[in-house]
Amino acid sequence: MRSRRVLLTVLLIVVAVVLQTTLFGRFRVITPDLVMLLMIVLALTRMRPEAVLGVAFASGVIIDLLGSSLLGLRGIVFTAVAFIAVRTRERAEIGRIATALWAGLLTFAGIVLLVLIGTLFGESSLLSEHVRSRVFLVPLANMAVAALVAPTIVRWVNGDRTSLRYA
Amino acid sequence: MLTRHRPDRALPTFVTLIVVGILLMTLHVRLEGGGVVGVLRSGTQALLAPIQRAAALVVNPVADVLDSLSNVASLREQNAALTKELAEAQAALVAVQDEIARLDLLEELYALDSGGSQIGRTVANVIGRPDGFDLAFVIDKGTSDGVVAGQPVVDTNGFVVGTITSAGPGSATVVPITVSREGVTVLVGAQVGTLLSQPASSEMRLQIIGNATEPVLTGDRVITSASSVSYPAGLAVGEVAEDVAPVTNSIVARVRPFVDPETLRLVIVLAWPPDPISAATDEPVTTESTTTTTLATSTSIEGS
Repeated sequence: MRSRRVLLTVLLIVVAVVLQTTLFGRFRVITPDLVMLLMIVLALTRMRPEAVLGVAFASGVIIDLLGSSLLGLRGIVFTAVAFIAVRTRERAEIGRIATALWAGLLTFAGIVLLVLIGTLFGESSLLSEHVRSRVFLVPLANMAVAALVAPTIVRWVNGDRTSLRYA
Repeated sequence: MLTRHRPDRALPTFVTLIVVGILLMTLHVRLEGGGVVGVLRSGTQALLAPIQRAAALVVNPVADVLDSLSNVASLREQNAALTKELAEAQAALVAVQDEIARLDLLEELYALDSGGSQIGRTVANVIGRPDGFDLAFVIDKGTSDGVVAGQPVVDTNGFVVGTITSAGPGSATVVPITVSREGVTVLVGAQVGTLLSQPASSEMRLQIIGNATEPVLTGDRVITSASSVSYPAGLAVGEVAEDVAPVTNSIVARVRPFVDPETLRLVIVLAWPPDPISAATDEPVTTESTTTTTLATSTSIEGS
């Protein structure tokens, strides 16, 4: 059961990274941050909180390594987002809309943190022309994707069809 | 009966990972992106590039369809404008062909060599972008194709895009000039200045400090200078976006780059400098067309 969960998590990360860097890299304005969203959704699974944080950190570092920004920047941001997600997960388990709103808010917090820490460390590449609109549009896109796929991902990872069946 | 209660280790794990993250960031800054960080970056790219390349093959047609659906209204206008442009370009081409014929004849008469430094070109596809906040992008050519860190990148029109910051065997990362921390030494008319990126803007800032003698005007072309250490001389970068007169021999003006890095699908990596002697020359660039190897055509991109 545990090895299946690990394997599924790795597979989901690879799919999220590849989709984000290829398909969603082509769209200019409305594009979700799939990897960040995956870290948020993993907090809803039965994975241990420490494991969720570890996975979030590793995924962030992978995205950093694929780009030009400071190594560890997204590692820190994704870990912080995953930590808040782990601590507030009960609020998301009420219903599909609550899950979407919760994921959107966490994404917004993550992006603000990313821009803030990036700016403090002189990462001018994060402050592109569309940064102001993307701070709002990426959470909206994540909200929509979360509403669609979050319950399915939670059920897959848990290997339990009854997981996240809203009351 | 006692039950085993698993202690909450989330907070200590969180603190540890944040500390590790800060250490990584410090290491990156100290090593200036090289050393272990550079090796890790090219290693990760080497692992993921084949998957990204395969995914791009599947994803690009889908994205193209979605793109065309969203742009169907503007495509008609673009089509009309391009038809007009094509007619103008064809007229200009006829004039240029006459000039080339005259030049060839004169060169033959005076037994002249066409001159100019020849630069190898590697055509590469854009296969990935990290996310919506990092404008750097990954191309499908790397060290095995002769692409190395520091080489300049231009678009298919020869306009400056940016530089290679890291390269693995089958892929490399390009950072556009519009977000690069490093300035570009440029030429506007006869004046040498520095072009810098501006946060949250697609425009760049031109600074001519201490030696500005004449105003810069809207539409003035900005090209790379021979003093540039990162780019060959004579590559077009953009155009001045406002009229600015010198104040105490200095000018600060907005420049609109010719290239939008987010729309690029195909780029050309220049093997520059080809050798120390040609790198030191102040001649205009002559490029050679190739995919991964070198062919000679001698098309002058820009005169300095």
